[in-house]
Amino acid sequence: MRRFALALSLAALSGLAVAQDDAPADPVAGETRVDRETGLPHWRKIHEVFSHSRCANCHVEDERPRWSGAHYGATRIHAFNVQRGGDGSGFGNPGQRCMTCHMETNSPRPHGPPGAPHWHLAPAEMVWWEKSSAEICAQIKDPERNGGRTLAEVADHVREDALVRWGWQPGAGREPAPGSAEETYEAILAWQAAGAPCPDQ
Amino acid sequence: MRLTVDRKQIEINADPDMPLLWALRDLAGVLGPKFGCGIAACGACTVLIDGQPVRSCVTPVGAVEGDVVTIEGLAEGDTLHPVQQAWLEEQVAQCGYCQAGQIMSAVALLEEIDDPTDADIDNAMGGNLCRCGTYPKIRAAIKKAAALKMARA
Ligand code: FES
Ligand code: FES
Repeated sequence: MRRFALALSLAALSGLAVAQDDAPADPVAGETRVDRETGLPHWRKIHEVFSHSRCANCHVEDERPRWSGAHYGATRIHAFNVQRGGDGSGFGNPGQRCMTCHMETNSPRPHGPPGAPHWHLAPAEMVWWEKSSAEICAQIKDPERNGGRTLAEVADHVREDALVRWGWQPGAGREPAPGSAEETYEAILAWQAAGAPCPDQ
Repeated sequence: MRLTVDRKQIEINADPDMPLLWALRDLAGVLGPKFGCGIAACGACTVLIDGQPVRSCVTPVGAVEGDVVTIEGLAEGDTLHPVQQAWLEEQVAQCGYCQAGQIMSAVALLEEIDDPTDADIDNAMGGNLCRCGTYPKIRAAIKKAAALKMARA
């Protein structure tokens, strides 16, 4: 994927048109050609999920998860002085961990805390909160900022990880992320097969 | 169902979805942890499970793995835990309702940070509300408890 990004940026630097619909991104055998027309609709689906408040609320750059989205009223930082944690782990601070209140399952009570295994903030470099579609797209393709994953591994993570899957089963009173884990998994693979194009903005 | 609460093994007959707080108070007769909100929004029910603080009002009893310690299990015989001792010396409690939870969070904090700064205290205690506003005394007592604990060690 790095080689692919490099090919793109070299093309841009040398003033060539960046690979469009039917031009191969890289003539090297085994490289996927970039098909924006096919790929971008898949990306839009993925972006709808990643930018949804069920996901983006905990993909923040700073120390504080957000409370936002349909049913939440105005966007707020998470109450109770909840923070990423001094050790940067995303699991909170001594005396008040995320899992002090967030159990492995959703609380059944109105306004009770949602729950899923290993509840924590995503690492700060995986920031989606208030980022553009192009920025999130660049982030998710960058192993330095996606947990060292290939896109196939990103897709697996979305399908398998219990905390990610929670986004589609967030409990009563919370709007789920659009579609399903399986649909998002398939969209990521289809987007990858189309060369993983990113939007301009 | 078998639980270890305050170093004692107890046997209870509970629906696994029952909140731990209900099991402690209604089935095991451990009345130290208090009910304030039932939705992890006040901290009155805080207990430790394997040393980590949890809001027992939202913890399904069936999900409990590990040793539960409540405010009732902190003292060693007649010797109060340093946090309890500091709370007494600073006369923290007003009505007292929130204090069992406050003390448990403070204990958890001091298990990990020997000499907490004001920021460490804020970060640990933000989920423990006190409608009587004893926060300045809580802060002073945590600092005293840290000193007491280090002196005893
Ligand atoms: S009663 Fe558990 S946090 Fe309020
Ligand atoms: S002492 Fe009254 S609620 Fe805290």
